[in-house]
Amino acid sequence: MERSDPGVTTPTTISEGVPGADDRDDVARARAGDARAFERLYRRHAARVHGLARRMMGPGPADEATQDVFVRAWEKLGTFRGEAAFGTWLHRLAINLMLTRRAWLGGQRRRLDDREETLAAQTARPAMTDLGMDFDGAIGRLPEGARQVFVLHDVEGYKHGEIAAMLKVTSGTTKAQLHRARMLLRRHLEA
Amino acid sequence: MTHEWTDRLSEYLDGELEARERARVEAHLAGCAECARTLAELKAVVARASRLPEYPPEADLWPGIEPRLAPRRRVIDLRALRPGGRRVTVPVPQVLAVVLVLMLLSAGAVWLALEPWTTLRAVPGPEPAANAALGTSDATVPEAAGVVAADFGFSRYDAAIADLERTLEQHRGQLDPATVRVVELNLRLIDRAIAQARRALESDPANPYLNNHLADQMRLKVDVLRQITALIHA
Amino acid sequence: MILNLAAVLLVTSSFTVHTDTTLAVKPGVRLQVNNFGGEIAISAWGKNAVHIEAEHSFRTEVGIETTEGAIKVETRGRRGTPNATDFKIVIPAWMGVKLSGLYTDVEVEGSQADVRAETVKGSIKVKGGRGYVSLHSVEGSVSVEGAQGKIELESVNEGIEATDIEGEISAETVNGDVVLAGVKSPSVEVSTVNGNICYQGEIAKGGHYSFATHNGDVGLTLPDDASASVSVSTFSGDFESDFKAKLADTGGKRFSFTLGSGDAEIALESFEGTVRLRRAGEKCDESR
Repeated sequence: MERSDPGVTTPTTISEGVPGADDRDDVARARAGDARAFERLYRRHAARVHGLARRMMGPGPADEATQDVFVRAWEKLGTFRGEAAFGTWLHRLAINLMLTRRAWLGGQRRRLDDREETLAAQTARPAMTDLGMDFDGAIGRLPEGARQVFVLHDVEGYKHGEIAAMLKVTSGTTKAQLHRARMLLRRHLEA
Repeated sequence: MTHEWTDRLSEYLDGELEARERARVEAHLAGCAECARTLAELKAVVARASRLPEYPPEADLWPGIEPRLAPRRRVIDLRALRPGGRRVTVPVPQVLAVVLVLMLLSAGAVWLALEPWTTLRAVPGPEPAANAALGTSDATVPEAAGVVAADFGFSRYDAAIADLERTLEQHRGQLDPATVRVVELNLRLIDRAIAQARRALESDPANPYLNNHLADQMRLKVDVLRQITALIHA
Repeated sequence: MILNLAAVLLVTSSFTVHTDTTLAVKPGVRLQVNNFGGEIAISAWGKNAVHIEAEHSFRTEVGIETTEGAIKVETRGRRGTPNATDFKIVIPAWMGVKLSGLYTDVEVEGSQADVRAETVKGSIKVKGGRGYVSLHSVEGSVSVEGAQGKIELESVNEGIEATDIEGEISAETVNGDVVLAGVKSPSVEVSTVNGNICYQGEIAKGGHYSFATHNGDVGLTLPDDASASVSVSTFSGDFESDFKAKLADTGGKRFSFTLGSGDAEIALESFEGTVRLRRAGEKCDESR
């Protein structure tokens, strides 16, 4: 059983280690209050959560959203019963948090957000395109509903029924949004 | 340029179409180079999406997380405390006092407010204006504070709900389809809660919380249906 | 009632019309606005006058009727249903209002009187309100800040938010979260089906507080000296508490315990979610 030596500083590179078997032990310890064990869980899963946050919410809020996800996961560890893998549970929790955040922001905004900004119109604005991340950048510029469905379906692998429940819409809507996202994104595939 | 099948291409790609539609799309694709190209592009997008790299944060976020970790609270799993298998008997007539309030809305549509226990929840009656619009005089409250023991009258809820659902079905064309969709989504949410409560009651029929909860959900369903049928009549 | 009417009608383009009217009023007069679609934005000032501005298409008529006790504003379509109209109305702070519409967003600020608002597709946002505040939307969210009195908040498909409110409160929705903060009330009733509940406020002696959800979590942030008898009902959920809770099994799926001297009553219900009690200072995160 690995024990972190207090004299050694944890390296800052993230995404080390192999999720799975190690998770079970660390979850049990973290549930009992072991913050070091939770840190190991963080290091193993941060990259995936951060990627999801970046794609769902944009690069700006991604860091804060990632932190909020892990703080929330710590609080809710008591309800994690271990039927599913920790990563799956964490992922679901992350999605719930991100969707709820957006929903509240959406409720405060004025109606003008109902109008769609087409991807074409958005790319017409002067933008700092990171050449290495063209496709990812394009995902970020999709209209919100289409982006959420695309990320959840094509990137994260959820099914329409699940996505519809998460977003509180019908699966007819999610299918239409998915198609729209794909149609907009096909221009941004790397050569 | 879009064809009639362009919008269905994603569903086709994901295998979501029924056999007949599938066949139609395939027949179309055989003869339409543009759609075939679009399909290929969609496939490429899906493939690219599945290959997206992980995106670790640039800086270490742990220092922003650790101070926010409150000491672990004592978690009390209620199921661990529940007596396994021991049935808890509850005297039905005394604990489950039911107050039934009957209000007539219109043309046979009846809705009930069921108030279990002694905690009387304020049940708003239809506004006088709404009544006028519906063509009824005043709301009659016949069996006021009667106490009906044993029979919760859930079957009467079912009748009221069925009545209102029929009205909604007949007149939904008069409503904005988006509103109808939203309402139906919410009715399905309530239905799910009702079904779960009912299932839970199967193994614990006298449970006060579950009975109360089921009655609340049914009252809520009637309330939502009533709101929507009022829109129809407005 | 004497009215001074000063109406200016500007046709700003061939398609939109700008209506601008100011009416002097005596205390006691109420305002009623029925706007089929668009916006109703109400703010308050110290004058005994009502200033009504409306922007609408020329196909839509804005009718302003004055009776003994009320000013009634309504949109009417010249042919069929009215188009969207945006109202900007300034009223005396003492004026009670009743606002309604179908596709209408409602915003009220600075009211020191009763506020009633009802819409189907729009959202409702109120800052202020005294005496009686009743806000009801079907598809939109409802939020209120700084209200006092009897407060009834209802939505179906969206969440409810209330901050710094005083008085009897009820908040009910089906598909949304309910977040109440800074509450001073002897009677709080909250319910949702598919959503979480978050409550931060005082627990008054002799008060009644009930929070019920079906598949969400309930989070209560209580003062350290909270004194209440608490009952927790659930079917398959969990319970967590910062406060020491010696659970007494009262039968079936309902548990109860006492905080302090048990001077109030708190009922917490979640069919399958988590019920959580926190100490003051810890933010409820059920929905933020």
